[in-house]
Amino acid sequence: MIRLETLGKSFGSFDAVKDVNIEVPKGAFLVLVGPSGCGKSTMLRMLAGLETPSAGRIVFGEDTVSDGEKGWTIDPSRRNVGLVFQSYALWPHMTVAGNVDWPLKVKGLDKAERQARVSEVLGLLGIGALAQRYPNEISGGQQQRVAIARMIAPKPGILLFDEPLSNLDAKLRVEMRTELLRVHRATGATSVYVTHDQVEAMTMASHVAVLNAGRVEQFGPPAELVARPATAFVATFVGTPPANLVPVSALPPVLAAGHPQGVSLMYRPEDMRVSAQPTPDSLAFEFAEASPVAGRIMITGTSGDRRLTAVVDQAPHFTVGDSVHFILPPSPAALFGATGERLQ
Amino acid sequence: MSTMTLRQGLRLDGVLLLKLSVLALVGVLIAAPLLRIVLDTLSPGAIIAWSEVTTGRLSRNLLWVPLGNTLILGVGVACGCVLIGGFLAWLVVMTDVPFRRTIGLLATLPFMIPSFATALAWGSLFRNSRVGGQSGFLEGLGLAIPDWLSWGMVPTLIVLIAHYYSLAFTVIAAALATVNSDLVEAAQIAGAKRGRILFGIVLPVALPAVVAGASLTFAGAVSNFAAPALLGLPVRMQTMATRLFGLIEVGQTARGYVVAILLILISALFLWAGNAVVSGRRSYATITGKGGRAKRFDLGAARMPLFLAALLICVLTTIVPVAILIASSLAPSSSALFSNWTLHYWVGLSNPSFAQGQPGIFSNPFIVSATGMTLSLGVAVAITTTIVGLLVAFVLARYGRGPLSGTINQLSFLPLLVPGIAFGAAYIALFGAPIGPMPALYGTFPLLVLAATAYLMPFAVQTGRAVIQQVSGDLDESARMTGASFPRRLLAITVPLASRGLAAGALIVFVKIMRDLSLVVLLFTPTTPLLSVLAYRYASEGFGQFANAITVVILVISIAATLLANRLQTKSQPWLKS
Repeated sequence: MIRLETLGKSFGSFDAVKDVNIEVPKGAFLVLVGPSGCGKSTMLRMLAGLETPSAGRIVFGEDTVSDGEKGWTIDPSRRNVGLVFQSYALWPHMTVAGNVDWPLKVKGLDKAERQARVSEVLGLLGIGALAQRYPNEISGGQQQRVAIARMIAPKPGILLFDEPLSNLDAKLRVEMRTELLRVHRATGATSVYVTHDQVEAMTMASHVAVLNAGRVEQFGPPAELVARPATAFVATFVGTPPANLVPVSALPPVLAAGHPQGVSLMYRPEDMRVSAQPTPDSLAFEFAEASPVAGRIMITGTSGDRRLTAVVDQAPHFTVGDSVHFILPPSPAALFGATGERLQ
Repeated sequence: MSTMTLRQGLRLDGVLLLKLSVLALVGVLIAAPLLRIVLDTLSPGAIIAWSEVTTGRLSRNLLWVPLGNTLILGVGVACGCVLIGGFLAWLVVMTDVPFRRTIGLLATLPFMIPSFATALAWGSLFRNSRVGGQSGFLEGLGLAIPDWLSWGMVPTLIVLIAHYYSLAFTVIAAALATVNSDLVEAAQIAGAKRGRILFGIVLPVALPAVVAGASLTFAGAVSNFAAPALLGLPVRMQTMATRLFGLIEVGQTARGYVVAILLILISALFLWAGNAVVSGRRSYATITGKGGRAKRFDLGAARMPLFLAALLICVLTTIVPVAILIASSLAPSSSALFSNWTLHYWVGLSNPSFAQGQPGIFSNPFIVSATGMTLSLGVAVAITTTIVGLLVAFVLARYGRGPLSGTINQLSFLPLLVPGIAFGAAYIALFGAPIGPMPALYGTFPLLVLAATAYLMPFAVQTGRAVIQQVSGDLDESARMTGASFPRRLLAITVPLASRGLAAGALIVFVKIMRDLSLVVLLFTPTTPLLSVLAYRYASEGFGQFANAITVVILVISIAATLLANRLQTKSQPWLKS
């Protein structure tokens, strides 16, 4: 179990992380997701014990491991955590087997035990054949596997991942997602995973915390984030494609009627239709792109810096320069106030 | 089809011709002198020199004692440089020591100051009356300076370490900068303690750089001529470099060539061994993409003491020697550096009661012409190396395959392994006598240009490569896609990108020539006077002030050119700054 209580970290007058309260059970896969600079990596480094929080507490199981009020933190090596760095941080002067072996050696395991564990984790990651290679002699995906093997070898109770897939190409990234989940299940550990890619968050997490500017915008299971986004930021950040947000001032009069000034309305892409001709309940945008998605068509239009996306069964053929008219459903899926809070 | 093959055939022949001419050029400049020096010692009349030098009655004095001194210097300097350079590099790159940038800059400066300048400064301070002539400043203050501190091995070691540590600093700092702090944090999470992290992670990762620093400074120390000549020769301490110089000066060329060959072998052996350790499977080029942050080691209470120690090292090896040189060029007596200052040594006219009638350096027509000669040599060599470097780099970049290019590549980097003074000896061996219809070049300006061009070839090819890499490939191709013609691309893309890099490279070559002593000391003749050799001659004849004044002139010119080169280099790629 991991519990964060009013956790905060400030660098000088800048609050990188502020007032974070999260709790996940043992075995959970917690994903911290948000745009770059939102404080997610700082949170991970506090979990690892590499940074001391300036406010709040971190509790692993029954033990408080960091306390911002008292300004102390338990050493990384005694927190029962493992970390995969974004850069992998493989020690370049050690072979693959040496990299996995060294932490065990530091732990004081005897040789036979170490050998057995090294070949076990290398086997688990499918890189047994690379044992005697050096890090610069293997590919990026293989380096990634070595970094994971090195982390799980000492059997930590908590696995931490700092954007581990960001250096891989798209196809490898999808493969490694599955691989990571398999390792997570095989170890039975609690995982915390940092990413800026909401698709990774949605596909891997048991719990997601969406961060923005150092605060948690919403915390919950992936399905709930899509079904009931708590803020306008979450609504437009999660989901494939994310939901559309339209200010009431931009709506056609028939739809705007009855809504207070300053609110924004959320429409799901699958609830919208498109037409080549205007209708009373449609919005005219410039056609931007269309792509087939699982037997349906995803159509995006732009108007100034606003984008609308609809997923429809059939659509007229648009070319760039055409106007595309998005027909909105009679009532929105959600309503957000001027400062992004959910109203209904 | 047939025209295609025909054109291809012609093209290939053109390439072959180009390769052959470049090979011939590199061969004449580099391989021929080195081959000639070997062949000279193998000729029937000279082959006896080998046994005389290695086993004969005189071999102890000719070879073994100088060899022992040379190795002591090499090992001592390598150890000292790695310790000091490594300490400063660690401080600057990995810790939170204050004024890191300033220390980093100061630590690179000593290598810009020629080693004979540092040696002269040492003499002005520590000289005692043992060998006669003026005594130094410290003895003038009433301190008794023991012989071992004035002359011989200890001062030579100190001066060489003070000169070469910045080389080790540069290499080690560059390597430490690639030690991602992630690597250390990963070890922390594994539970390793500080000591274990240092010995298990940081040192092994930095080891190749340490070895490279050690082998470079070793090679530098064993081939250095100025410091042992100025500080060791007066008490008959010989190194291989000074022995080689002495033998050729007195006309025992065959013996001198044998010593030169042995010196080349020693220097090359250690550079090769260092390289063998560094390259190989565990080449530690950074293997990561994104991520990795710089977290500095917190020095705590040791912050100020360590900063002061670093500052002291830097000041003692940069500002102090230069200040002493300037003061001593103004003071009539080096035992009183800061009194009775006079400009006589700079501008004074000949006066029999003063310095045995020697006029000040700017009133001495010989020195004025030497200044002109040195500057012309610098400019000429800067031009020739730029052209030759570009040509060789172009051939290697474009047609880098096959045995011919391999040979060109190997040959052009060969001078790195050859001590300057041995290279000078090789040039005397080849061009000292007429070759066919060509007159002997010894004592002529072209010989100096040829020798210096060949000697700086590795540096020139490196610069040429960097420039060609910068302008070839995508950049030129993207300009071609716009339909720009070759001349237009040349003017709009290639020249602007290349010119500053080339100019900076040329300026650095110019500086290297200005302050070089070991290459030219054997090629020097009264018809081709050069400033560095004159400074050396004055110093060995006891006219310290004139030597120091000339050295200050060399320093001023070198520093100005270096600053200009730095400016050009950073300005050439403003987009890389951020």
